[in-house]
Amino acid sequence: MSNLSHTTIWAVIIGMGATNFILRFVPMAALSRVALPKPVMRWLSYIPISVMGALFAKEVLLPSTKYDPLFANPGIYGALISMLTYKLTKSFMGSTLAGVISFVALRALFATLGFGA
Amino acid sequence: MGPSSYTTHTANATEPTTHAFNTLNKHTFWRGIKLGLPIFLGYVPVGLAFGILAHTQGFSLIEALVCSATALAGAGQFIALATLLAGGDALTTIIATGVVNLRYVLFGATLSPYVRTLKMRFLPWIGYTLTDESFAINVADLRAQRASAGSMTGVGFIAWIGWVSGTALGVVCAQWIGDPSTWGVDFAMPAMFAALFVTLAENKEHVLTGLCAGALVIGLALLSHFGIAIDSNWFIVIGALGGATIAMIVFPHTEESEQDLSAGEELLVASTHAREGDSE
Repeated sequence: MSNLSHTTIWAVIIGMGATNFILRFVPMAALSRVALPKPVMRWLSYIPISVMGALFAKEVLLPSTKYDPLFANPGIYGALISMLTYKLTKSFMGSTLAGVISFVALRALFATLGFGA
Repeated sequence: MGPSSYTTHTANATEPTTHAFNTLNKHTFWRGIKLGLPIFLGYVPVGLAFGILAHTQGFSLIEALVCSATALAGAGQFIALATLLAGGDALTTIIATGVVNLRYVLFGATLSPYVRTLKMRFLPWIGYTLTDESFAINVADLRAQRASAGSMTGVGFIAWIGWVSGTALGVVCAQWIGDPSTWGVDFAMPAMFAALFVTLAENKEHVLTGLCAGALVIGLALLSHFGIAIDSNWFIVIGALGGATIAMIVFPHTEESEQDLSAGEELLVASTHAREGDSE
């Protein structure tokens, strides 16, 4: 249907697979066999929580990079319910499901009330 | 039964605990599968969307499947399709996805101190299945001192299955499946990140660091109002690097906090042994 050749598709598949594996495996494997300086270790220890804060902001506060009014964003409430569920149950699956269900319910409710888009 | 059996008396005290950390058996693997189930839930619909899009752009079922199975990259694969659609050649497309996936270097560097005592044979698969989501789950589990070779292998496996099976569904039965976002599954990953934020925020410093990274991302998005458009694929890397760097500057580091860090590794293996040792 498109004029995309299968040779191009396979070249992309092989190139992308190889590039991704190198980017994922080599730094982790190589750095795991050397002792990193303490300041670097300390800096790295702040990375996971920063990644999570950034992912959270991008996925919940900026869905599809358009700005939703804060109080008409069902994602905020869904996220809060997921957090609360995690506090109580310590289960990622339980909190994910609780978040999704409350998100769907609130999205429907907000649409009925005429909030947001 | 492992290599540690012949070094028992000469090796230091961490030797048998390293063995527990290096355990891959039914028990540890299933623990990883269960831990990674939310990722599965989130990946199936996004994989499905990729399958539909790839198919309409001329990918066969086999091509779409092999692409998802080897690349395992959400944003990267969608960017590949967009670049190809815009007339980009293979090399341009590979470079475009590589740039977006540079964040894996940061993730890999972050994981490296934790996997120091892990045998090299486990690292290729853990690396192969390193995504935003598996990184988040595994790093939380490592910090909680519960992770093992088996659990990390299982998390990667269930994520991979979700992504590949979603892609297959998208290619094969696109016309029978409605928009998956009506079921709210597009919120599965954000909901999981919210829970992960709670578990990773061990103290006030962490909460502030995370908020700081989030605020940076909002700031980057708002820059578009001033005519400065930054590709949203860069938000995570800039937010993470910025958040960690600000934390590094703002929070004074004491002797104890440095000792905590260097002791962390021994604590990690010791506790892994304490929790999983009885299953040996």
